[in-house]
Amino acid sequence: MFDKEYSFKGTHAEKVNKLTAKFDDKNQLFKRNLDVYMMAPIVGFLYQKKSDVNNGDGSQKPTKIFPQQLIENGDDLAFTYRLIMLLDKKNAASIDERVDKAFRQFNSPQAENDEKLYEQYVLGGVDILYEKLIESATSTEDYLKNLYDFMEDMDDRYNQTIDADQISALCRLAKQ
Amino acid sequence: MLLKSMSLTNFRQFNGTQSISFSVDPEKNVTVIMGENGSGKTTLAQAFTWCLYGATDFDDQIVLNKAISQNMGSNGEAFVQVKISMVHLNVDYTMTREQKYTTDSTGNLKRPNNTVFKIQYKNADGQQDFVKESEVELRMKEILPKELAKYFFFDGERIGNMSKEIRKGKSKEFADAVKSLLGLSAFTEALEHLGGRSANTVIKSYEGDYDSKSDSKIAQLRDEISRYDARLEQIEKRLSEIDNEEYTASEKAKEYEVKIAENRDSEKFAQERAKLKSKIAGLEQSKVSSTSGVIDTFNRKGSSWMATKMIHDALKELVDADKLDTGIPDIHARTIQFLINRKKCLCGASIEFGGAAYTELNKVLDYIPPKSIGTLIGQFARECELKSRGAADAFDDISNKFSVVSGFDADYADLSNQIETINKKLEGMLNVGELQKKYTFYDGEVKKLRAERVRLVEEKGGIGTKRERCETGINELVLKDDNNRRVARFKAYATYMYKYLFSVYKEKETEVREQLEEAVNTIFKEIYNGGFSLKLDDKYNIQIQVDDFEGYSGDVETSTAQSISVIFAFIAGVIKMARENNSDENSMLMTEAYPLVMDAPLSAFDKTRIKTVCDALPKVAEQVIIFIKDTDGEIAEDNMGSKVGMRYLFDKKNEFETELIGR
Repeated sequence: MFDKEYSFKGTHAEKVNKLTAKFDDKNQLFKRNLDVYMMAPIVGFLYQKKSDVNNGDGSQKPTKIFPQQLIENGDDLAFTYRLIMLLDKKNAASIDERVDKAFRQFNSPQAENDEKLYEQYVLGGVDILYEKLIESATSTEDYLKNLYDFMEDMDDRYNQTIDADQISALCRLAKQ
Repeated sequence: MLLKSMSLTNFRQFNGTQSISFSVDPEKNVTVIMGENGSGKTTLAQAFTWCLYGATDFDDQIVLNKAISQNMGSNGEAFVQVKISMVHLNVDYTMTREQKYTTDSTGNLKRPNNTVFKIQYKNADGQQDFVKESEVELRMKEILPKELAKYFFFDGERIGNMSKEIRKGKSKEFADAVKSLLGLSAFTEALEHLGGRSANTVIKSYEGDYDSKSDSKIAQLRDEISRYDARLEQIEKRLSEIDNEEYTASEKAKEYEVKIAENRDSEKFAQERAKLKSKIAGLEQSKVSSTSGVIDTFNRKGSSWMATKMIHDALKELVDADKLDTGIPDIHARTIQFLINRKKCLCGASIEFGGAAYTELNKVLDYIPPKSIGTLIGQFARECELKSRGAADAFDDISNKFSVVSGFDADYADLSNQIETINKKLEGMLNVGELQKKYTFYDGEVKKLRAERVRLVEEKGGIGTKRERCETGINELVLKDDNNRRVARFKAYATYMYKYLFSVYKEKETEVREQLEEAVNTIFKEIYNGGFSLKLDDKYNIQIQVDDFEGYSGDVETSTAQSISVIFAFIAGVIKMARENNSDENSMLMTEAYPLVMDAPLSAFDKTRIKTVCDALPKVAEQVIIFIKDTDGEIAEDNMGSKVGMRYLFDKKNEFETELIGR
């Protein structure tokens, strides 16, 4: 996984294009398609939004991520994949199973369904990002405001109760 | 002209002083002087030309009596004198020519002195007076020009030559002389005086008086003046402009001076405004950098930050599931395999295939190397820690930057308001720097204008002086110009007079010439009866023409008798014309009768002719003085008898001495 060219298609291609487009004379929300691709599965999972690949109305051209970019960022991508596999209890109820999916089956033939799931989260994330950041924007100021509002919303929902020390403590426990 | 008397002193044969009176009686107007050949007839005739013109036809130019010159001795001196008394135009004249002769120590004659010619006349008061020495020649020319004299004092022996001369190529002087005799000289003189060839004619003198340069000079000066006037006008215009401009400029300068004082504060406000403007610029800059900062952080840390909760949950899952420490330190799958194969545990308990120990040991295989995922999980946990730490400040960072961006509008509006307030304050005020610039400009203008005025006033003064000089020049030239106009007018008059006179003269001259021709012909036919007539051309040359000889007409060879007849006829004709004109008081032609002094003219004629000549001459000439041979004299006296008033005889004593004796 993460060693072959990836293409967004249909409505997702259109949305990714808009997410990477310049909203003023020099700024764009996402610098590359890759940046969308890296954030989208996290957002999709957190919002529990899965989407399937579509061809849109047929007018949208696919937008690609080259394998080289994917290979270079393979560690980060694998990290996200493992997170999702470890946490998605709908996919596998027992922790042992989820650990197998996250570690033992990663990048193996048994992972085929997991990879599909992962892509569904990616595309779902694209839908969420588009909806939150782009859809309601009417002026250039709105993009930035949407971005902030989106992050603030995430912060309210997930991050306020967590701090780095908790995570460090868990890490120490996990490594023992 | 009437000859009254002549006296000769030591002139050639005439030793001492001898006198002769000529008949002036109009009835008996002939004086006959007889003498044999060589007795002095020709000498006496020559005495006239010597006295009047200082020349003789003799080869020997010494006119002193030979007897006297031989007796002068050494260092002696003697005088020759001929004195002629005459009446001309009612004035009594006495012409005297004298020549002094001296001998050297050996008694030889020296080269004689120049002759001295004097003309004495009786003026209107009856007093004797002398014509000025410088004018005697001229006066003589007026009385009887030398060119003509030979026709009145003539030598019969040379008559052939004279005839030729008269017939062929007469000099212009001759024609002029004839004209003069015929009374045309008044015209010719007038014409000559007005516009002749001489450099001193009236017309030429006017040309000399005319200053042809003055016109162009005046034009030039006027041109200069108009240029000066144009420049002066410009200067005046400019000066009044300068007055206005200077007034305006200095008013402006004052105005700005006041404004500068009033608006000192504006400078402070302007500085404040500048600060605010730079703040706004800074604000805009930080908005830009914050915006890109938000984006940058979002792109770099967004994913990790969003995953924080998931990282936390995942770690918790792993810790709770106790998966992470299930590995047995330093135990490898080979160790377990060894224990199973020997069927005996480390603790000594037996391991039976399919038994509880056997199953437990096979589970251990999952958690130890090589099948262990402990390392992967450990690695994953470290990544979790790194990512969560790295992204921990992401939201704070974005929040801060976003607050700048979102606060921008408020800050910007605040600064803008402040600037607006200052602008409003400044609106009523003026920029001191600008005011200062303007003040400096107008003040500079005032100075420039003053300098220009000074320069223009100086130039004006200079031009005024130059202009005055031109005016003076023109006034001077205008005087000359007036003179020019006067001169031009005079010249026009003179030219008109000249042309008028010339046309009248031409007419009159032709008339006179025709009359002369007629007169000459009349006389010629009286003297010489033959089929010939004389023709006068416009140069007064005489041609003898055959009247009609079988259709032949033209000039012909003439005999001696004919020649003499021609001369007689011509001279008689001239004299006759002169006389007739003289009597016509209304005529424009003023002339004088002339005597005829002849030397032995009759020898060439036969008796019949002598008679006719003797008959004709006293009638046409006012006075006839005739020198004649004994034989001819008798014939002449026979023919002119009643006309002869005086008679003289040459008494030849020897070759050197002759005496005149009255008869």
